[in-house]
Amino acid sequence: MELDTATKPAPAPPPTAQEAPAHPLLEAVELVKHFPIKSGLFGRANAVVRAVDGIDFSLYAGETLGIVGESGCGKSTTARVLMNLIKPDSGNVLLNGRAPGTPELSLKDFRAQVQMVFQDSYASLNPRLTVEDSIAYGPTVHGLSSTDAVRRARRLLDRVGLDPRRFAGRYPHELSGGQRQRVNIARALALEPKVIILDEAVSALDKSVEAQVLNLLLDLKDEIGLTYIFISHDLEVVRFIANRVMVMYLGRVAEIGPTDALYTGGRHPYTNALLGSMLSMNPDERTMEAPLAGDPPNPIDPPPGCRFHTRCAMAESVCSAKMPTLTVTGAGHFAACHMVDPTSGHSKAAA
Amino acid sequence: MTTTSDPVLDIRGLTVTFGGGPKAVRALDGVDLTLGRGEVIALLGESGSGKSVTLRSILRLHPPKRSRIEGSIKVEGVDVTTLEGRALEAFRGKTVSMVFQEPMLAMDPVYTVGQQIMEAVRNHESISAADARARALEMLTLVRIPSPERRLQAYPHEMSGGMRQRAMIALALSSKPRILLADEPTTALDATVQVQVLLLLRELQRELGLSMIFVTHDISVAVEVADRIAVMYAGRIVETGTVRDVIRRPRHPYTIGLLSTRAHGGRLEGHRLPAIPGSPPDLANLPPGCAFAPRCAIAAEACRASVPEAVDVGGGHRVRCFRTADTANRIAALAPAVTS
Repeated sequence: MELDTATKPAPAPPPTAQEAPAHPLLEAVELVKHFPIKSGLFGRANAVVRAVDGIDFSLYAGETLGIVGESGCGKSTTARVLMNLIKPDSGNVLLNGRAPGTPELSLKDFRAQVQMVFQDSYASLNPRLTVEDSIAYGPTVHGLSSTDAVRRARRLLDRVGLDPRRFAGRYPHELSGGQRQRVNIARALALEPKVIILDEAVSALDKSVEAQVLNLLLDLKDEIGLTYIFISHDLEVVRFIANRVMVMYLGRVAEIGPTDALYTGGRHPYTNALLGSMLSMNPDERTMEAPLAGDPPNPIDPPPGCRFHTRCAMAESVCSAKMPTLTVTGAGHFAACHMVDPTSGHSKAAA
Repeated sequence: MTTTSDPVLDIRGLTVTFGGGPKAVRALDGVDLTLGRGEVIALLGESGSGKSVTLRSILRLHPPKRSRIEGSIKVEGVDVTTLEGRALEAFRGKTVSMVFQEPMLAMDPVYTVGQQIMEAVRNHESISAADARARALEMLTLVRIPSPERRLQAYPHEMSGGMRQRAMIALALSSKPRILLADEPTTALDATVQVQVLLLLRELQRELGLSMIFVTHDISVAVEVADRIAVMYAGRIVETGTVRDVIRRPRHPYTIGLLSTRAHGGRLEGHRLPAIPGSPPDLANLPPGCAFAPRCAIAAEACRASVPEAVDVGGGHRVRCFRTADTANRIAALAPAVTS
């Protein structure tokens, strides 16, 4: 990964840390990222894609937070904002309570602690570097001598299951997709980060290889004590790997909670529709009815109020009038739905 | 619904080789497949297993100069491999039609959906523009596109992913083919939209009595749509049977492995996924025996020496494996993981 060592203009100072049961490792505070659509003679922006529109969550040390949602829900934009690859329009990312790109935490130090693995294993490696050089690049930039960096690269290759004697000198095109993704994981580990953001990191792999890479991620997490953000559209895989799951819909968090509670008792109608779309694997119990009609609406012009009300069977007038906020529904479990907020005025609201 | 006595499609010993000389790649090696009238077969496999190559061979879509096709493909008694010129044109779309994975690439971006359907219809039938337009409208209604009259004038980029795939299906069915080939038609779609398109294809198949081959890498999709499943590995069909047989009583070690690697339900602390070791084989460099032998836990000498022929393990459930006697016992151990 190219490390951007230039310091960005400092965002607003971090707000005072709230008292939480455990101190979060990484926090997203009111993140907003809109992309203007430019057109016409002077390239004036006449519409905006509300990719991420007010997202709050905390990531605790040692956990795996799964992020699920359909295309256009903003999960990849969230990852890129968290990683500081793109700057949010407003809101903050905090690592241990400190904002990256400030005198307290330089971007370079932040990137040493938060790393990312992308979906396309080939596009994310430099085709003209051997895998050993790709892995050693980051540590060299961060001040390690080249012999030490190469030694670390070889140790990491070994750790992700690629024999360095066979693989160190190879170029990305000489590896299979699964092997390349192992190299990307080794590179993400090269700076000894605390957090790794995995953006659809196993989605392009064949099922038989995907299982191997998931097992590798579990082993590394236990051995090194890593914290993961695992973004995927595959609900089975997220259920397997995540401790907590965040469901996104059109740039907002619909629901967030412990994996089991969310998968067995989702409180947001969208969560349940998404889970209801999982196929049963049982030829005697085929899906007879689609849980939702139509496609997700366009994030350029999202519906007012609750973004899901246009596809929701339970929608009432309050849903199009007022945007629901995340309301506690259980231990560490929150849903943004008027039905779980007793004060919302929805007829099915829990009293 | 299934009548095996009168197959509409009969593939025998299909071998497809791309390129020539020492670098030739044998993408398919002796594929036998029969499709009954009104039957749905799912071709299941990973990338490079030959499932799309099989599908494309049926429509003769491979570049003739760079590919060699051996064996026979009979559609309603006619050998497709001998078709040329006008007969081939009439065959494509009229007898056998295809739905592709990415409708944005399969459709022409500069013509409206209506124009594209009308063109396809008028290529096969001598009917007036007005009648062709009526057919296009009928097709968009058939695939349950809301306000079809307006959608006739829409360009592909103006539609959402799900609507585009519905339009692609309308286009494929516009000349009333008897066989529909679907190449991962729901893979690019979101979960909630995938279900809608799968249900649509299943309903249309039943309503129109279509015979269908459905290519997918996702077992759960195959279970939703198919009567039978054919599992492919390295250019060969390694296991075929009814959906129930293949899912509940898999007999090829590769199928057993695939079913057990699926992440089911929550994870118990410290639990890992059972994974097939190694990686899929290089087609230009296949081992002499069974292609799965290097990754197989129960491979024996015989497996590395020669390629196993298909054996019937009961009721048309055919498996290309020397060790079927041993795999029968393995299922018992795997059964809870597979059916839970």
